[in-house]
Amino acid sequence: MAQTVFAPWDDPTQRPLIQFKGVTKRFGEFVAIDNLTQDIYEKEFFALLGPSGCGKTTMMRMLAGFENPTEGQILLAGQDMAHVPPNQRAVNMMFQSYALFPHLTVWENIAFGLKRQKMPRHDLDERVDEMLRLTRLSKFAKRKPHQISGGQRQRVALARSLARAPKLLLLDEPLGALDKKLRQDTQFELMDIQEKTGTTFVIVTHDQEEAMTVASRVAVMDEGSIIQVATPANIYEAPNSVYVADFIGDVNIIEGAATRTAEGYDIAWAEGQPPFHAKTPVVLGNGGPAYLAIRPEKISISAEKPDDAGNTVRGRIIDIAYLGNISTYHVEIPGGTMIKAQSANTRRLSRRSFTWEDEVWLSWTDTAGIVLER
Amino acid sequence: MRRFTWFNATSLTLGFAFLYLPMIILVIYSFNASKLVTVWAGFSTKWYGTLLQNQAFLDAAWVTIKVAVISSTIATVLGTMAAYVLVRAGRFAGRTLFSGMIYAPLVMPEVITGLSLLLLFIGIGLDRGIFTIILAHTTFAMCYVSVVVSSRLVSFDKSLEEAALDLGCSAFDAFRLVTLPIIAPAVISGWLLAFTLSLDDLVIASFTAGPSATTLPIKIFSAVRLGVSPEINALSTIMIGLVSIGVISASIISKRAAVAQQRDEQAAARTS
Ligand SMILES: Nc1ncnc2c1ncn2[C@@H]1O[C@H](COP(=O)(O)OP(=O)(O)O)[C@@H](O)[C@H]1O
Ligand SMILES: [Mg+2]
Repeated sequence: MAQTVFAPWDDPTQRPLIQFKGVTKRFGEFVAIDNLTQDIYEKEFFALLGPSGCGKTTMMRMLAGFENPTEGQILLAGQDMAHVPPNQRAVNMMFQSYALFPHLTVWENIAFGLKRQKMPRHDLDERVDEMLRLTRLSKFAKRKPHQISGGQRQRVALARSLARAPKLLLLDEPLGALDKKLRQDTQFELMDIQEKTGTTFVIVTHDQEEAMTVASRVAVMDEGSIIQVATPANIYEAPNSVYVADFIGDVNIIEGAATRTAEGYDIAWAEGQPPFHAKTPVVLGNGGPAYLAIRPEKISISAEKPDDAGNTVRGRIIDIAYLGNISTYHVEIPGGTMIKAQSANTRRLSRRSFTWEDEVWLSWTDTAGIVLER
Repeated sequence: MRRFTWFNATSLTLGFAFLYLPMIILVIYSFNASKLVTVWAGFSTKWYGTLLQNQAFLDAAWVTIKVAVISSTIATVLGTMAAYVLVRAGRFAGRTLFSGMIYAPLVMPEVITGLSLLLLFIGIGLDRGIFTIILAHTTFAMCYVSVVVSSRLVSFDKSLEEAALDLGCSAFDAFRLVTLPIIAPAVISGWLLAFTLSLDDLVIASFTAGPSATTLPIKIFSAVRLGVSPEINALSTIMIGLVSIGVISASIISKRAAVAQQRDEQAAARTS
């Protein structure tokens, strides 16, 4: 069966659900969002990722209607949202603090938005029950928010924001308060719900693993701008800047001077050492100074020099971090640069071949590294 | 360490005696059978009986209760609105001035408040009577309500209101359906406070009352100038009872609300 890949952003005939057009948001002198332009498509699970204070919540609040852009336009399904108040937007938000109404029961919390729509009683009951089932809360319908657990409260908040079947659901660090296990379960639950309901989700998170797990596309933000938007795989494999490479996962950054070759670049990284090769279609704007970014798991570690690897370098193990399923070796290469190399622990600990102070060879292929502008 | 010492016991007794002895004596003498206030002649409730026959007192009592109910209700509405605006509006030019102006009457000498209201009523040609007392009491009780309500609103999670807006409420509905039910205990204790303040106010009422309407405190005060009677004692006992009920319920309500709030906040902070 031929399955079409979900990638509306690559399809020029698709019209985006949300369009940020040159949006700037200032709080007094402070620029929270800086001339941002971005499209988000229907049925996307769009993740905003970035350090605290980079403007993620501000973007959400502008979508929900709690803040107005200082400059620029936000369009929802082609309509300019500038003067549409929050209560008239087909958008619902799940708040970071959940913001459950403490004086209402779980049932009443979920029904709250439906009652505002003047939904007939019978349909309303049905819809609330459906939401309770979807979030597995049926047993707790009559409880007040303070009588249920954190995980259940989080599901009530989700059910409440989904009940009105919004075109767009905003989730502001929805899983921030949950512990790791519950968090992972909930992430899959969210994806499941998103698939079932076909709602467009925009999720804010500062946890890159979470963004990678749930999102169709990830936007990495810094200081009010989006630095890169791509699918989780692309943002990991082909970051467009050191900032993104460093933000998503672990990475080795090697500084050097790039010279153009037939298939990419050679990076001269230390006096008297052969340059590293990198195969890439990317063309650097400024030639000369560049960074080579390599993920630790793409670097192999061996006792003997491998003959078939594109890049090899000798080094000494300084530190080993044992993480159970994998180990990270910190290897010092000539010139004092520290390189992290990861290998899976397929053998028992006692039979592991390397230890501290061992001289080893690091190697990687020509396509493993990414050349980034300095 | 010994908790009980003669020194502690003495200071406690003295302190409470200082506070409550006058009132206790008043209450006891309201049950005195003798007409002479200072001579005890056995237990009797007859002064409560004669009080009920005294039309002037009954009229004054009725005026007082009407004034207290109406003025504290208006004061609660206005005070809650003022508190809401001041807490919610965020920073705007002159905000400190506005909130200062709301709280100033708290420390303003009552004589001055009364006098200025009197001058105002004369100035605009308003006949003094029950209406002017209500206006005056609303004015000064409003700032008390506003203090009580705004201290609750400061800790009110604004995202609850945003959630209500997000779910389709108008701003007014969000206030009516979410904010008000949650801050209700503070509003009720504000009302009770306003009610008790109005009930026992003498100074401002004296300035703003007219020949057509006097309140109970004014009536008592003028009656006492002709000599203390057991009837007055009986009346005062009833007032002490009313005021105590008001104050005690206000404090019980706000205590309960504080406990509930703490519980909700703890619940919100708990992670799993
Ligand atoms: N109402 C506001 N007034 C002033 N500054 C604000 C306001 N809201 C947000 N900011 C500022 O804007 C920046 C971005 O905030 P926010 O969007 O909440 O960041 P994030 O959610 O990414 O952590 C922060 O530096 C914050 O201090
Ligand atoms: Mg935030």
